[in-house]
Amino acid sequence: MFNEKIVDPAELRHWGGKIELYWIYTSGEAGDRFFKALRDEGKFIAAKCKKCGRVYFPPRMYCEFDFSETEYQEISGKGRVRAYTVAWLDKDEKPLEKPEIYAIIDMEGTDGCMIHLLGEVEEDQVEIGMEVEPVLRDKSEREGTINDILYFKPS
Amino acid sequence: MRVAVLGVGYSGFNTNTPDLNWKELMLEAAVRAYEDAGINPRKDVDSVVTCAEDFWEGFAIFDEFVPDQLGGVLKPTCTVCSDFLYGVATAYMQIKSGLADIVVVEAHSKASDILTFGEVIKFAMDPVWLRDIGNAHPYYFAALEMSQYVSECCINEEQIAEVVVKNKNNALLNSSAPYGAKVTVEDVLNSPMVFDPMRKIEIAPVSDGAVVFVLGNEFVAREITDTPVWVKGVGWWSETSNYDTMSFNAMYAYKAAKMAYKLAKITNPAKEVDFAEVDDRFAFKELQHIEALQLSRKYETGSLMQEGYFARDGELPVNVSGGNLGVGNLLEATGGQKALEVVLQLRGLAGKRQIEAETGVAQAWRYIPTASGTVAVFGV
Repeated sequence: MFNEKIVDPAELRHWGGKIELYWIYTSGEAGDRFFKALRDEGKFIAAKCKKCGRVYFPPRMYCEFDFSETEYQEISGKGRVRAYTVAWLDKDEKPLEKPEIYAIIDMEGTDGCMIHLLGEVEEDQVEIGMEVEPVLRDKSEREGTINDILYFKPS
Repeated sequence: MRVAVLGVGYSGFNTNTPDLNWKELMLEAAVRAYEDAGINPRKDVDSVVTCAEDFWEGFAIFDEFVPDQLGGVLKPTCTVCSDFLYGVATAYMQIKSGLADIVVVEAHSKASDILTFGEVIKFAMDPVWLRDIGNAHPYYFAALEMSQYVSECCINEEQIAEVVVKNKNNALLNSSAPYGAKVTVEDVLNSPMVFDPMRKIEIAPVSDGAVVFVLGNEFVAREITDTPVWVKGVGWWSETSNYDTMSFNAMYAYKAAKMAYKLAKITNPAKEVDFAEVDDRFAFKELQHIEALQLSRKYETGSLMQEGYFARDGELPVNVSGGNLGVGNLLEATGGQKALEVVLQLRGLAGKRQIEAETGVAQAWRYIPTASGTVAVFGV
């Protein structure tokens, strides 16, 4: 049983398939507020739990620890680098034209953080604890997405 | 009612498998597991649990594609959308509750069929807040976690390199570990840095294979053998799906281990656990997971690694099989390969890499970008 196997590699068969999938991703109540404020006013919004006072960034309409409501508040958008990496490979593991610096940025006035790119800084100049501020796309080009933030730069 | 491992079978593990499709990989592993357990799946099996994720497979509703290749048609079947060890936990509960006497657990990887691996991982990232930032491979997400971990826990690059050296060299004694290599710390430190502070050699490349376990209750086990391997405890835990509230410090593994240790009545893991197979799909993850499993204390794990404490002939061997760095990233079968190694060691069937042990732990993480994972304790 089960002893018939393909031993001639030239006989091996497969076919190439692909999945073409399209979505719209709803930003949600909190996301909508955030991205509109970012697009229209260049402002950053966080969300504070009405019960425990934890300030969420990215903002959301509920506190995941208390399972209760939050209220929105404006924050500076500035932050501090908690961790970073210099990425040299693209999604196909091929070299990127230019390395990209990703960082976890603890956001001022919140208990949260943002993962985004760093710019206007050399790879070997980045340090943990470095203070950074956001650089936004020109107002006329903003679309209300996460890429309206181009990157964070040293402040 | 105790739960025993009645039989194990596997297919692979290889860098690719052009001759068999994923169903045939499962079949191979299953036939071996049933032979090992001495059961007839058409008569003896009460329930089948498979572990799979649609996007790894390339088609939707994976669970409709089983159970024919496992000999389980016309039987209770379910798919757990997660690692093999979640399947072990599910089977454990089915047996403990009396719902089933014999349960089959399966997981596999046909990663070599995935042409756009990075793209699939990106699909797991939050589409609104994270997915479209930058153009890098999502491995960057693990590198960020590593950056935080090494700075928080004062880990140096030699200590990370030691993980790669240990596991790739261990893998040389495992004929089912395609990425075994005789590398040194110097080799690792001279290898390309791709997600600074992470080197390419610290990232487990994908591999193919399937793992099948036959689990059963105490009565069935006693009919088959006088010396069964027992599933002594299982645990699983999730932090959150949001990167801003994740610990980036393997809290999931710590909590999952607590749950499993409680069931296994283990109060001092560092003393009572003889060896462990942990998720090392990125080298730093091994250090993080060893700490989370309470096999070492924070701040001492790196130096213990350098001293050979976790070596095959060390005090507490970790990833004797070669781990993911030696065997490869087996996707949802990752925990399966770890549990398999633990069982083979406990049965004394690990060949040249055999160690002396009575209690072993297998642990797996849900991979990027999650903070979820599972732990199983096995013993004789």
